[in-house]
Amino acid sequence: MAQSPSPTFGRAASRFATYAVLVLGSILFLVPVFYVLMTALKSRHDLASMPFFALPPSLHFENFPKAWTDGSLGTYIGNSALISVVKVPLGVLVEALAAFALTRMDLKGAVTIFMVFLVGMMIPMQATLVPLNVFLNNPGIIFVYIGFGIPFGILILRGFFRTIPKELDEAAVIDGCGDGQRFLKVILPLAKPAVAALFILDFLSTWNEFLLAQIFLTKDSMKTITTGLMTFVGQHLTDYTLLNAGVVLSMIPSIVVYMVFQKQFVSGIAGAVKG
Amino acid sequence: MSVRVRSLKPWLFLFPAAFIYMAVVLVPSLNTLVLSLFKWNGASPVMIFVGWDNYVKLFTEDTVFKLALTNTLLWTIASVLILTALALLMAMLLNQKIKGRLAFRSIFYFPSILSAVVVAITWRWMYHPQGLINGFLGLFGVGDNAPAWLAEPRSAMESVFVTSLWFGLGQPLVLFLAGLQTIARDPHEAAIIDGANAWQRFSRITIPMLRETLIIVLATVFVNGMRVYDLIFAMTGGGPAESTQVLSTWMYFQTFTFANVGVGAAISWILIAISMVVIIPYVRYTTKKSEQ
Repeated sequence: MAQSPSPTFGRAASRFATYAVLVLGSILFLVPVFYVLMTALKSRHDLASMPFFALPPSLHFENFPKAWTDGSLGTYIGNSALISVVKVPLGVLVEALAAFALTRMDLKGAVTIFMVFLVGMMIPMQATLVPLNVFLNNPGIIFVYIGFGIPFGILILRGFFRTIPKELDEAAVIDGCGDGQRFLKVILPLAKPAVAALFILDFLSTWNEFLLAQIFLTKDSMKTITTGLMTFVGQHLTDYTLLNAGVVLSMIPSIVVYMVFQKQFVSGIAGAVKG
Repeated sequence: MSVRVRSLKPWLFLFPAAFIYMAVVLVPSLNTLVLSLFKWNGASPVMIFVGWDNYVKLFTEDTVFKLALTNTLLWTIASVLILTALALLMAMLLNQKIKGRLAFRSIFYFPSILSAVVVAITWRWMYHPQGLINGFLGLFGVGDNAPAWLAEPRSAMESVFVTSLWFGLGQPLVLFLAGLQTIARDPHEAAIIDGANAWQRFSRITIPMLRETLIIVLATVFVNGMRVYDLIFAMTGGGPAESTQVLSTWMYFQTFTFANVGVGAAISWILIAISMVVIIPYVRYTTKKSEQ
């Protein structure tokens, strides 16, 4: 405290600086979203004739249904939902089975196997696309989605499984549980926080996936919300009110999931640290 | 007999994940390594073996590749330095007793839940010549001299990078916050009594105690930087005048637009090779840590 002439003054100044940075940062972070929403609510005439910061004089909600039908957003959102609903539970299941084998079973070379899985986190998807061309517009693409989620899923679940005390397994074995029962009735229920976190993180990354959909799901009826939105943008390059309405609509599912499961997000990401 | 059956069982549990992972990640990427030694258009039955030719040509003849390589490296270095520092700064501000902590954290994390396409379209509109940024600059009378951001080679890459900070801050921020919360207060209080100033406490206590988190953040920021694709593709498509090409976008164009499959394959393996320099030590560190 010797360096500061008045400790209370110094502390108040640093508190003020903290709030100033946080508030300014928050404004910078919110402005783009606010701007998109404002644009989506204007008519084309308002947009052209008024200064950029003007609030819409009247709210034009009709941009939303128009974007929804013009952009076939319903189809794209349906496709993304279908992929997520199949991919996420199936992926988490195979990852949990593998993490169980790696941590709770007598598996020789478990560490080496884990290392091989980890390497996959670093392989760019681009390096696999050409050999996978059999999946062009093929529902089997779901396995490619699952495959690229496996390294991260195993990292998270293995990290969590390791924190569950071994005594619980021993007790289960004494009670006559087989491996399958031990997995389903002991480990999975105890790992619920990690499994829940993984579900959410995996859902978002599947929902937001772009490259696989861009390369393999090229038929218009099979496009996802990311590639479908790109198509929509390509068709309405200068119709900014409609375009921004489309952007707002495609943000909504992510925002809902985020708001509902915020707790799991933070614990999930933090869980990755403990690995 | 029963002993042998038991030793096979873990493999049964491992099998689905291992099989899918090998079939869609490991084997195809090795297959791509083989493809990188051929000249092939992706459709014709004729594949001509050219050895290392694709690699040599990339480094000697393909000027866009050289630009893409430089851009990728600069982007990665800038991400590792700026994004990490920014996330650490914000995390330290948020790790104090302040009002609205959760609200601030949600706001800074929010862009991370969006898709790169949504972020790209949002910011294309922000950077539009009639968009918010130039409108704002116009209030100060610089509107006429303001750059066209994404439409000019001199500013396009920097503009996309700024967007990537907005998009990418959330994850390292939350990681740092989780790490900071595990640091006990005692060492800080002891250091204050011993007369350590804020910088000394930061460099001698916070940083060493955050070591594990720092390694994870640096590794993920590095990997994400090396393979950045969606955001650039959706914001500029590599343009204007190829000024925002990076390895992954140039790989896409070589493979899928120009049908130079061998060249594209070579680019993706150059990407892997560079990444390995950081990734192999990281994987070894992670597994070693988990052995303890």
